[in-house]
Amino acid sequence: MIRRAERIGFLALPGLSFLAIIYALPLFMLLLKSFQIDGQFSILEYVTFFSDNYSMSVLWRTLRVAFLTTGLALLIAYPTAIIMARAKGIWLSVFLVAMVLPMSVGVIVKAFAWSILFRTRGVLNDTLMSLGLTEAPIRMLFTETALIIGAANVFLPFMVLPIYTVLRQMDSRLPEATVSLGATPVFRFMNVTLPLSLPGVVAGCAFTFSLAISMYVIPSLIVGERQQTLSMLTARSFLYLRNEALGATISSILLIIAISVVLGSSWLASRLGARQ
Amino acid sequence: MKDPETRDMGSNKYLDVTAVGKAFKGTPVMSDMDFRVGRGELVSLLGPSGCGKTTLLRIIAGLTAADTGEVMLDGRAITSVPPHRRNISVVFQSYALFPHLTVAENVAFGLRARGVNKAAHGPKVAEALALVRMSDFAERPVAALSGGQQQRVAVARALIVDPVLLLLDEPFSALDRKLRETMQVELKTLLRARNMTAIFVTHDQDEAMGVSDRIAVMSAGKIEQFASPSELYARPASAFVMDFVGLSTRLTGKVVETGAGRITVHTAHGSVTAPGDFAAGTKVTIGVRPELIRTEPGENTISVTLEDAMVLGSKTQLHGRAEDPNRLLCELPGMRSSLTPGETVNFGWSIADTLVYEAST
Ligand SMILES: Nc1ncnc2c1ncn2[C@@H]1O[C@H](COP(=O)(O)OP(=O)(O)OP(=O)(O)O)[C@@H](O)[C@H]1O
Ligand SMILES: [Mg+2]
Repeated sequence: MIRRAERIGFLALPGLSFLAIIYALPLFMLLLKSFQIDGQFSILEYVTFFSDNYSMSVLWRTLRVAFLTTGLALLIAYPTAIIMARAKGIWLSVFLVAMVLPMSVGVIVKAFAWSILFRTRGVLNDTLMSLGLTEAPIRMLFTETALIIGAANVFLPFMVLPIYTVLRQMDSRLPEATVSLGATPVFRFMNVTLPLSLPGVVAGCAFTFSLAISMYVIPSLIVGERQQTLSMLTARSFLYLRNEALGATISSILLIIAISVVLGSSWLASRLGARQ
Repeated sequence: MKDPETRDMGSNKYLDVTAVGKAFKGTPVMSDMDFRVGRGELVSLLGPSGCGKTTLLRIIAGLTAADTGEVMLDGRAITSVPPHRRNISVVFQSYALFPHLTVAENVAFGLRARGVNKAAHGPKVAEALALVRMSDFAERPVAALSGGQQQRVAVARALIVDPVLLLLDEPFSALDRKLRETMQVELKTLLRARNMTAIFVTHDQDEAMGVSDRIAVMSAGKIEQFASPSELYARPASAFVMDFVGLSTRLTGKVVETGAGRITVHTAHGSVTAPGDFAAGTKVTIGVRPELIRTEPGENTISVTLEDAMVLGSKTQLHGRAEDPNRLLCELPGMRSSLTPGETVNFGWSIADTLVYEAST
């Protein structure tokens, strides 16, 4: 007889087979292709990629943008999540709607909204100039800074929601217990709130980083072709250069980064959560 | 009515809560609350759900700000001192242990928060854990502990900082009956040995009787009576206290005769004489503790039809037929299986054992 836990495992079958056919199989084929030249096993494509200055600069830019986007999103998301975890009733609903609603507005719409904000004679520059903070308009659109700000904005909910969830699950008596043991608010934050929220922070960073490293639409719209990222390079290899081997190689590199982030973060989260 | 003992404690007021009032969103929870506790006293706040026990405790701890009034501790006003500088430890109902820390780290938390030299932690933690017999669990994560063990850790964590006052909000309510009784005895012994001043919140009268020197019976944001367990049981200050602490036979009626410190009350179960001075025509509530009643004629005697006779081992409980709000209850020592429902018996007791209160209308 099959044990109960194993039988319940069958419920995961449809989901698993869906993922296997639609997701894992094509990616595996891609991975295979990146190691093949004329049907022979070869790592030549990788050697070419890693020894090419241009490809390496794109790789670094992609990683840098993803890191900074994740950092900026975390900086904004953490206080937001704390306030949300304390909010009650109507305010909580307002916050949740504010988090979820923008997700339903397409990235393209947002990108054009930003261009109104960021462009040379845009709202932001006009304000800065009228305040006398700057003489001439600052070039903001088509810069990496604009890309990071825009990406952090789009991915913010993926950072806020996991942190909010763990903070919300925290026993509401813990802060009071901490205070009655003589802890200052700063000590309480450093020793109770922060460590208990870390699993949420790890999850949020993993989501945001994975999304940021593979984003395509946002950089295409904000910085355009001049500053390529790995995803844009992949698309170009497949669509314009018709160089499937190069495309497969870059995709595989992206895939490997994404898998390491996911595995690393779940290892970290389970280590952090093990004692709880 | 104010219990005389509340005022007598004035000479020994270590904790002094004066005229404290608190309202939540315009709904008053308590007003003009006076509450005094002597050094080293173990005191319980006893009362029905929602009467304001937790609120009073939180005001003393500084976790809730009072709207009016003053809290003094050891002669110092602490009303505006933030909770982390009051040195008052709280044991919460849910224990509120830190899930990311081990037992030893939980216990050491207060020392770390106060910046106590790290070298001093080890021996102090070991001592605190030994006190609650949890030394073997020092390195365990707290999630792996049973309810009773978690409670011990919570107590050790609260005591390690040598608090000037220990507050416990229903500390035993999450434990099963047997463990609860063990823990009550254990904790009482422990607190006594350290001459700790402690306030327990509870709505379990047996628990209050068991652990405390004095009990403050609360009702709707007021202290009805603040006295020793035996005083509370023998001389309840109001019908509410009589009903809340222990069981009783209870009769309502009207005073028909008065004089020489005695009144005669007409009730649905006959005439009853009680000590007291109430004007004729006053509506009163009469009470008698069940173990003071015998099934034979006494100074007061009423005839009762038995509804149930419950043999409880050490005692037999007789329930007589009565209409609300009257209640007829008698407890006889030992097992009396000869008494059967439907039988008519006499309930007799002495005039001096008769409690009488003006009925609240
Ligand atoms: N933060 C709050 N906001 C609004 N009302 C509150 C708050 N805290 C307590 N109350 C109200 O104050 C009253 C007293 O509450 P309190 O928690 O002190 O009662 P309690 O005696 O401890 O009851 P229990 O035995 O159920 O714990 C209740 O009516 C409660 O609803
Ligand atoms: Mg309470």
